[in-house]
Amino acid sequence: MKRRRVLAGLAGAAVSAAGCGAPGRGGSGRPGDPVVLTLLSHYATDPLKSALQRVVDEWNAAHDRVRVRTTAVRFQDLLTTLMVRQAAGQGADIVHPYSLWAGQLAEAGVVRPAPPGDAARIERGFARPAVRAASVHGRIIGYPTEVQPYALYYNKRLLRAAGLAGPPRTWRELEETAYRTARRDRHGNTLVQGFGLSRIDDSTVVNQTLALLASRGGSFLQPDGARSALDSPAGRAVFALERRLIDRGASDPGIDLMKAFPAGRVALAVSGAWWTGSLKQTMGRDYRDVGVAPVPGPAPGNRGTVTTGFLLGVNAKSRHPREAWEFLRWLNDEVAPAGSRAGPAAAVRATRMSVLQMSVGTMTGRTGDMRALLAAGGDPNLGPFVDALDYATPEPNGPRAQKAKALLRKNIEEMWTGRRPPDAAVRNAVRQVDQELSR
Amino acid sequence: MATTVGSADGDGGEAERLGKAGGRGRADGGRADGGRTDGGRTDGGRDVRTAGDRTRPAARRTRYRYRQTAVAYLFLAPSLAFFAVFLLLPLLFAVLLSLSRWAGFDLADLRPAGVDNFTALFARGSSFLTPVLTNTLLYALGTVALALTGAVLVAHCITHLRFQGFWRTLYFLPIVTTVVAVGNVWKYMYEPGGLVNGVLNALGLRSVAFLQDPVTALPSVVVVQAWASLGSAILILTAGLKAIPHVYYEAAELDGAGPFTVFARITLPLLRPSLLFVCVTQFITGLQSFALIIVMTGEGGPGDATNVAALEMYQRAFKYGDWGSASAAALVLFVLILVITSAQLWLFRRKGADA
Amino acid sequence: MRRRGRFPWLSYLLVGIGAVVTVVPFLDMLLTSFKGPGEYGRLPYRFLPEAFDLSNYREAFVRLDLPLLFRNSVVATAVITGSVLLTSSLAGYALAKLRFPGRDLIFRLVLATMMFPPFVFFIPHFLILVHWPLAGGNGLLGDGGAGLTVSLAALVMPFLVSGFGIFLMRQFIVSVPDEMLEAARIDGAGEFTVWWRIVVPQTRPVAVTLALLTFVGAWNEYIWALLVSTANPRLMTLPVGIQTLQSYLDPHRMVPVMMAGLVLSVLPVLLLFLLLQKHYIRGVMLSGLK
Repeated sequence: MKRRRVLAGLAGAAVSAAGCGAPGRGGSGRPGDPVVLTLLSHYATDPLKSALQRVVDEWNAAHDRVRVRTTAVRFQDLLTTLMVRQAAGQGADIVHPYSLWAGQLAEAGVVRPAPPGDAARIERGFARPAVRAASVHGRIIGYPTEVQPYALYYNKRLLRAAGLAGPPRTWRELEETAYRTARRDRHGNTLVQGFGLSRIDDSTVVNQTLALLASRGGSFLQPDGARSALDSPAGRAVFALERRLIDRGASDPGIDLMKAFPAGRVALAVSGAWWTGSLKQTMGRDYRDVGVAPVPGPAPGNRGTVTTGFLLGVNAKSRHPREAWEFLRWLNDEVAPAGSRAGPAAAVRATRMSVLQMSVGTMTGRTGDMRALLAAGGDPNLGPFVDALDYATPEPNGPRAQKAKALLRKNIEEMWTGRRPPDAAVRNAVRQVDQELSR
Repeated sequence: MATTVGSADGDGGEAERLGKAGGRGRADGGRADGGRTDGGRTDGGRDVRTAGDRTRPAARRTRYRYRQTAVAYLFLAPSLAFFAVFLLLPLLFAVLLSLSRWAGFDLADLRPAGVDNFTALFARGSSFLTPVLTNTLLYALGTVALALTGAVLVAHCITHLRFQGFWRTLYFLPIVTTVVAVGNVWKYMYEPGGLVNGVLNALGLRSVAFLQDPVTALPSVVVVQAWASLGSAILILTAGLKAIPHVYYEAAELDGAGPFTVFARITLPLLRPSLLFVCVTQFITGLQSFALIIVMTGEGGPGDATNVAALEMYQRAFKYGDWGSASAAALVLFVLILVITSAQLWLFRRKGADA
Repeated sequence: MRRRGRFPWLSYLLVGIGAVVTVVPFLDMLLTSFKGPGEYGRLPYRFLPEAFDLSNYREAFVRLDLPLLFRNSVVATAVITGSVLLTSSLAGYALAKLRFPGRDLIFRLVLATMMFPPFVFFIPHFLILVHWPLAGGNGLLGDGGAGLTVSLAALVMPFLVSGFGIFLMRQFIVSVPDEMLEAARIDGAGEFTVWWRIVVPQTRPVAVTLALLTFVGAWNEYIWALLVSTANPRLMTLPVGIQTLQSYLDPHRMVPVMMAGLVLSVLPVLLLFLLLQKHYIRGVMLSGLK
């Protein structure tokens, strides 16, 4: 009898431990219930969060058979979240990864190639670099929703104050502009940086460097993505340029570029198209001082830059792939009805995603949509980015691309902080990246 | 059977002695002697019981034994089941993963890979050895050095003060605080607009980018880890200090020894067991902790400046889905910890024999 | 007990400085939580807030699902503490007072479990919970579903039994006099009754200590909770939830709101510690035994 009580106690403990209620997964599967599609993105903050929510609400209002529910995490946590949720069998139906991760996610079985119909639509509708960024081994994975070519931001007021008429068009002019605009106080504290270098995450650190590299005709990896191509005259020149800018006091990577540029304390910086929207919001009236130009090359008119972006794909484990692709087509391929928008943009024929991206100051890879929306009162600073879609090279997105990028970032930062001279940093980066890619 | 029971009882006696010594922290010397005498006493206790048993039939005694065995295993069942599922199985799984390549998320996709994951960790160009493992060692060493020095000073000084309990409580606050609070509070104190730089500026010094500069980043985190572990070190050392017999101090006073001589010649040498204990435990904790680093510098930046082995393992597994090399990294760190622990335990024993 | 050195002022100075360094971060956390929008980050730094602004606490309630976070933290902590107490006491009793073949070996095994650093089990624990057979839509072989990560079980499973807890309870149960147990047995009590009527009351002080150590550890646990709630946000605990604040607010506004959240999450444990610190401190000293 007493033993039974022991058993009852133990069983109670086990039940209380294991049976703490299971929150149900979306979509009960009962006939008649709507299919619920989950969408995981990094649109966790406004204005992106509410912009996406508005268009999803629009879909939900019009479709009662298939409903979409959005979830979002910080960009810095997105890859881990994608991987961990997939490992735990709780991946979202629709995922919105950075295009750099496409190879890793395809290899891990998170995403798989788009159905032929959608692939053909994507091939037709989007600029070449955007399509390539959304493909793995030549097969299109998803809709390129957000495309981010890199260009040169400049502060017109600071350039005028230094007696300069326009933005630099060559590397030489870039350096001269940087030195002439930089200012420090008598203690050596930086007041104005001539050329800002951002170090908030892998993407900002590496992409600004890769944009300069592309402008000089170089690239990070070989075309097949199997080996590093950094140890080239262009690669060494870019590292040396950044080192020189720091040594001569024109750059100070210790200062947060994302705060310093809007505060009017940086003359030049290389960044993606998304920054226009964020700057407009934080700078208010001062945004009229901001100009955008192509990344300078070795000679005037010699153009090259890098482009990255995000893609919307369907989880390989989703139980409702047909419905998910249907939603993605509605979002990325159908022309939005004119009535849903206000102002001059109302008359423009563009997809819902193009309108969404333009409303938050970024862009999709649909060059036609972008030009039309720009003409109808979009931010003229986006013009150089749209132009860049003609010549930009997408960053390689093989299975170990993110890891390779993280390794490159570490070496760039070691070069910035003086722990390694530029040439040694190039060699070390090549060694580490090749070792990683060969695994 | 008799020998098993006997040795278990001997162990129990020793444990009992340790249990009673609990309030004084670790007392290591003379373990064998204490065990033997206490074991003898317990045996005496059992003699009384067997004397009672002798009046009953032997069959009944055997049945009693069987029943006790059954009850014992019943009581132990939940714990043993837990250790099987959450200790033995994971250990085997970790070894299996470290010898495999696993690109997907289905168990069926596991592919054997030999020792590739281990060789890749130490291949030319791999960042695992330097800076990751060296950072790990520096982190642990720095924490131990700082916390130990601070704890010795404070524990020694506290014994001279009034309201000792009050002071110890203050020093103890960080221990019961979540790492998220500790990490964030310090992270923002280190910022340009935070408390530490505010104090520096008030003293006329320039601001320091503590967590952004690769030279200062690791030491800055080490300071926080040491700050957070000071309390328990002080506690254990205080217990050790209280165990030092007064006669030594009285004799020293008679000899006219100054306070520093007393500290160096009497306190420190007699405190050695407690010191070693704090040293070992904090070093092991330092080698494997990365929660503070995740909170303070995210991914171990700038560059790899604050990246440590356990964090590297976490990222390889959960960010890159590289379960194989992550498990290999975990096992390498585990072996490292095992070697260091055994070395320190060996040191312990030897010093114990000397004393 | 107290020895007066020749330079007590030096001791007071040293201990005092150390105490200030220990307490000031807590004060900074508390004071920053009252700083109004735009006040944090302004140079030069000011320790005291301009006015005691409670809006950060309101904001923390708006931004976080605090009821969910508290519920998860409380349930997980309670289940872990209860389970560790129960299993440690039962196993400790068996190892200390019952005679059976294999006891020595099992005791050594328990000691050995304390040698393993938790991070070694990190990856396998996660995968084992995900691939738990017949849970969360899994098949018999553990594939196909979400396993135990759908429920709070994921948060508590790896912490339900503690080798240190068993060891600690055993050491104390050994010193319960055999005569008391024998007397109860002669009265016809079974082993469970002996455990419940004699061992449990006799070891109450050490049980309080073990409960407190486990409680504080479980309440403050971060890494595992972070991983589990990355897989399933419904399992977020207080520390993890507060850490996510950094993604939802702009940087200048974030810090004071975060500090407000931290004050709310730290307060319960701090109060508990101040009330029961004698037991807790004894626990830390006892942990010096292993």
